[in-house]
Amino acid sequence: MSERSQTVPTPEGEYFESTRFAGLSFLLGSVALVALVLCALGAVVNPHQFSYSWLFAFAFFFTLCAGCFFWTIVHHATDAEWTVVVRRQLENIAALLAVLALLFVPILLLRHHLYAWMDIPPGHEAALDFKRAYLDFNFFLIRAIVFLGYFIVASQLLRRFSVRQDRDGNPQFTIWMRRVSFASLPMFALCLTFGAFDWLMSLNYHWFSTMFGVYIFAGAAGSSMSLLVLVITALRQAGYLKDVVTLEHYHIMGKWMLAFCIFWAYIGFGQYMLIWYANIPEETQFFIARNTQSWWALSMLLVVGRFFGPFAILLLRSIKKHPHRLCIVAGWIVFMQMLDMYLIVLPALHGTGVHVSIWDLLSLIAIGATLGFVYLRLVPRTSLFPVRDPRLIESLKLVN
Amino acid sequence: MMKTPFGHKVYAMAAEYPSAAALYEAAKRVRDAGFRRWDVYSPFPIHGMDEAMGLGKSWLSGWVLFGGVSGLLTAALVEFGPSWGLYPVNVHGKPWNFWTVPAFFPIMFELTVLFGAFASFFAMLGMNGLPRWYHPIFNWERFSRVTNDGFFLAIEARDPRFTEAGVRELLEQTGGQHITIVHED
Repeated sequence: MSERSQTVPTPEGEYFESTRFAGLSFLLGSVALVALVLCALGAVVNPHQFSYSWLFAFAFFFTLCAGCFFWTIVHHATDAEWTVVVRRQLENIAALLAVLALLFVPILLLRHHLYAWMDIPPGHEAALDFKRAYLDFNFFLIRAIVFLGYFIVASQLLRRFSVRQDRDGNPQFTIWMRRVSFASLPMFALCLTFGAFDWLMSLNYHWFSTMFGVYIFAGAAGSSMSLLVLVITALRQAGYLKDVVTLEHYHIMGKWMLAFCIFWAYIGFGQYMLIWYANIPEETQFFIARNTQSWWALSMLLVVGRFFGPFAILLLRSIKKHPHRLCIVAGWIVFMQMLDMYLIVLPALHGTGVHVSIWDLLSLIAIGATLGFVYLRLVPRTSLFPVRDPRLIESLKLVN
Repeated sequence: MMKTPFGHKVYAMAAEYPSAAALYEAAKRVRDAGFRRWDVYSPFPIHGMDEAMGLGKSWLSGWVLFGGVSGLLTAALVEFGPSWGLYPVNVHGKPWNFWTVPAFFPIMFELTVLFGAFASFFAMLGMNGLPRWYHPIFNWERFSRVTNDGFFLAIEARDPRFTEAGVRELLEQTGGQHITIVHED
């Protein structure tokens, strides 16, 4: 019943011309190479600081990619209509999890700088002995392999099926993708939760929060939706997806950004208030480190910048239906996700106050440029949207 | 006020349409003819009808914002007022100045939601003219089919552009059937 007439896309789809962006690709590739070499130097010169910096950058990009993976499986599990046109980019970003698995290796190599519990022999720390069954390096390693392996297999499967459907339009692939997604829903929740426990929460083995996994998830989902807005807008700026992604799609993406902005605040505050109110030293130490000294200013910036600001702005429909304005908010939210990860990782090292290091920046650049480079190699291989998805036409005609 | 030859007040002129699609197309024509006081009736919601009718944005959201902000301010007043101003109490060594605010967030949140919900509910009733025990459109016998398979459009007599001949012609042009005058009482 829509009044909008849509040009039905050609079955060949739209292809990203990699030659147009050879310069950018070369730039990203060389920046990544230089930054990785410098990071290797950092791991030798200042391994203690570098290990935390690298973990921070890893956590930031990992949550972004895992979030995109989450949106893909939710799309299939709920048989969503609007996501079809943006799904290929979600799949491409989720496929970067395979690269991130490689970039996890430095964390394993530098583990003794990061995780104090690995070096304390049994019998020296009662609180730790109680957790030995879980906090054990061999088990930690197996879990990391399972989590990352699962993310790689599932994201690759979903992308392969989707790309093969582009060729023959076989609806069977939709069914298979749905099956992978159903199995993925509980697996994703477990892997992300325990991944967050292992890699971030165990930086301080005294501290625990049962909400920590959900907290990481809330940040990941909201910031990856923001990243999707940025990626889609960048592609549209380059002249692609013009007739495919409409303002209606932007409206929905904006609504999701708002929803997860609220959800993040709900979970973040829930975690904070229960600990603040109960006032048990074992639990409060995490927030005391982050609420005092110069960390206080950054914590307040996170509270205001990750929730109050975007919340008020995203309430307006005129923002959600205006790609460039929405991009400003989306970029800000991605930046806030970075701050969030920074505030989780770095105070574990610099408990007395903010201490920005060059390795923080270099790690970010190294991982970011590597992922950007691989992403630019992935995009031209397939159409920019799933051309023969059974629900493509409905998605193109979306009205909400 | 328009009256029939028998002295009844006229509420509207109405027509029946064979399908949702026909009603949708008719609505666009009536919208383009510039009528303001008219409505369509169907057994189920028709997607895109708000656009076809040219309804524009509802200002219910404004009321909800008003309700939500009132709730937030009420909570802030009843929490900060006693605990910070009137009778500060040391609870668990927690601060009793502004920084005790985390303890107040749940109530602030809940009153914001509660007042927002109240505002949306009552404003919705008010904007729809509810509660209302009887509506003149039910004076038309055929209209009872609206909950089954009938699609109706009625243009009210109080619309400034309403003329009996003009509206009848418009409804005929848009494919309306059983065109009739509906009495006010």
